[in-house]
Amino acid sequence: MRLPEDGAADARVELARVFRAAGGRIIAALSARHRDLDVAEDALAEACARALEVWQRDGVPAAPDGWLYRTAQRCALDSVRRRQVRERLAPALAAELPPPPPNAEERMADDAALIPEERLRLIFVCCHPAVAPDARAALTLRLVCGLSTAEVARAFLLTEPTLAQRLVRAKRKIADSGIPFDLPAPSAWPERLDAVLSTLEVAYAKSHEDAAGAGQHAGYATEMLELTRVLADLLPDEPEVLAFAALVRYAEARRPARLDAGGAMVPLSDQDPARWDRASIAAGDAFLHAAARRRATFRGAAGAPGPRTLQAAIHGAWCARRNLAEPPPWPTVLGLYDALLVHRDDVVVRLNRAVALAEVEGVVAGLAELDALVDARDGAALAQFAPYHAVRADLLRRAGRVAEARAAYDATLALDPAPAERKWLERRRASLESDA
Amino acid sequence: MQYALLLYDDENAMGKDNGGSIYQELVKQHRAFSMELRASGVQVGGAGLRSTTSATTLQNTSNGRTMHDGPFAESKEQLGGFYLIEVPDLDAAIAVARRVPLSPGGSVEIRTVITPPKS
Repeated sequence: MRLPEDGAADARVELARVFRAAGGRIIAALSARHRDLDVAEDALAEACARALEVWQRDGVPAAPDGWLYRTAQRCALDSVRRRQVRERLAPALAAELPPPPPNAEERMADDAALIPEERLRLIFVCCHPAVAPDARAALTLRLVCGLSTAEVARAFLLTEPTLAQRLVRAKRKIADSGIPFDLPAPSAWPERLDAVLSTLEVAYAKSHEDAAGAGQHAGYATEMLELTRVLADLLPDEPEVLAFAALVRYAEARRPARLDAGGAMVPLSDQDPARWDRASIAAGDAFLHAAARRRATFRGAAGAPGPRTLQAAIHGAWCARRNLAEPPPWPTVLGLYDALLVHRDDVVVRLNRAVALAEVEGVVAGLAELDALVDARDGAALAQFAPYHAVRADLLRRAGRVAEARAAYDATLALDPAPAERKWLERRRASLESDA
Repeated sequence: MQYALLLYDDENAMGKDNGGSIYQELVKQHRAFSMELRASGVQVGGAGLRSTTSATTLQNTSNGRTMHDGPFAESKEQLGGFYLIEVPDLDAAIAVARRVPLSPGGSVEIRTVITPPKS
C-alpha cells in the first residue's frame, strides 16, 4: 500500500490502468451473469467512482483489479435488486435471482479466472447479425476491450454524442429483441462467425492505424492477440479464424519497426526486418499453416482461400523477409492482392494493389490504376480519403511530376493524418522541394 | 419471450384474390408449418389475413377518426399474416423465422411482443 499523501494522483493513474486492463473482462463477466449490458456498464462506472474516492483516501489496494471487480459486482447486484423493487416484482421472483456462488469473489479477483468464454459470449452478443453493422465494432471496443466512449468516437471519427447514441440504440436493440447472452449453438457458429471476424477486423484496424501503435490504442492490440487466440482455440477448424489470428500476430510483430527515431512512420518496405519480433512472426506462421491445412482437409483442393487467409498471406510474405538486402516480395504481394479483389473489391484493396503494381510494373502502371479508380468510384468520396492522396503523391514524386506530387501531399496532409504519418509525409514533401 | 413474425409479400404477384397457384401452395405450407409449431408448443397465436382489398383504415386526426378504404400504407408488399410465438430468445425466433413459408421475394419481420409485468 502506498502513502496516502500522494494518493490522489496515484489513485487516478492506477485506476486508469486497471480500467484499461480489466474493464472489458469485468463488463463481460457482469453482463454474462446479469444478461444486461446497461447494468454491467453502470456498475463498473459506479465502482470506478468509488475506487477513486476510497483509493485516494486509503491508498491503492494490493489487487486493484480484484477490488474493482468485487465492487462492480456488488453495485450490479444492488441495481438489479433496486430495479426489482421498482417493478414491484413478487418476492418469489426476486428470490429466483441466482445468489453469488460462495467463492465467486475470490475466484474472480484472480484475473485469469475471468474465463475467456465469458468474453467470447459478449463478443457474440455485440456482433450479433441483428445489431446494426456500424454499431458492432464500436460496441465490441467499448464493452469487450473497455475503451471509453471518447476513445471509440475518436477511432471512428465520430463525435462523442453521435457514437454514444449509436451505442445506446444498439444496446436497446440487444435488450428489447432478446438477443441471448449464450454462445450460439455450434451449428450456427460458422454463420455467426463472419459477423464476429468483420467486427474484430474493424476494431483491430482502428488500433493498428493509430500513430503506428504508439498511442493508447496499442493497449487494446494486446486484447486482440488474446481474443483471436481464444477464438482460434474454440474454432480450430475455421481457416478464416486461424488466418485472422495469424494476421494480428504478423502485424504486431512489426510494431517495433513502425516508427523511426524521429517518431515518423516507416513504410513496410523500408522497415528493418531485424527489428521485427521473430517470436510473434513464428506464431503467425503457425496459425497461417494451420489455416492452410484446414482448408486442404475441409474443402478439398477446390477450396479457394478466403479473404482473411489472403490478407494474412500478404502479411506473411512481408514477414518472411529476413533483412533489407533481400528484395521485397512485391510480385507475390501483387498476386495475392489480385486474388483478394475477387472477395473484396474496395478502395483500400485497390490502393494497395496499385502500390504493388507500381513496384512490379512501374510507376506509370500504378498511376494508371489510380486514375481508373477515380473513374470507377465516387470521386468525391475518394478526394476525402487521405490514403488515396498519400499513395498518389508518392507515385507522382517517383514519376518526377513534382508540382502534382506537391499538390497531392498537401491534399493528404490537409486530411489530418496521424502524427507519425504526418511527419513522414512532411519529410517526403520537403525532399520534393529540394529536388525541384 | 414472445415474438410476432410479420409476413410481408406481394399479394398481387401471388394471386391471393384469384386463387393463384403460388398462393394455394403457400396456404398448404402454412397449415403444415402451423400444425408443427402448435404441436411443439411454440405457436401462441397467429392468422393469415385476407388481401388488402378487404382493408379499412381509421386514422386519428384532429377531426376525430377518419375512415378510408384500403391499407394503412400503400406499398408493393403488404402484411399478409402473422405468427405469435413463445421462444427463449431472438436466436430461437430467428430459427423459426428461417423456416416460415414465404412467397418468392417475401419477407418476415421479427418483433418482440410487449408482455405486461408479472404481478
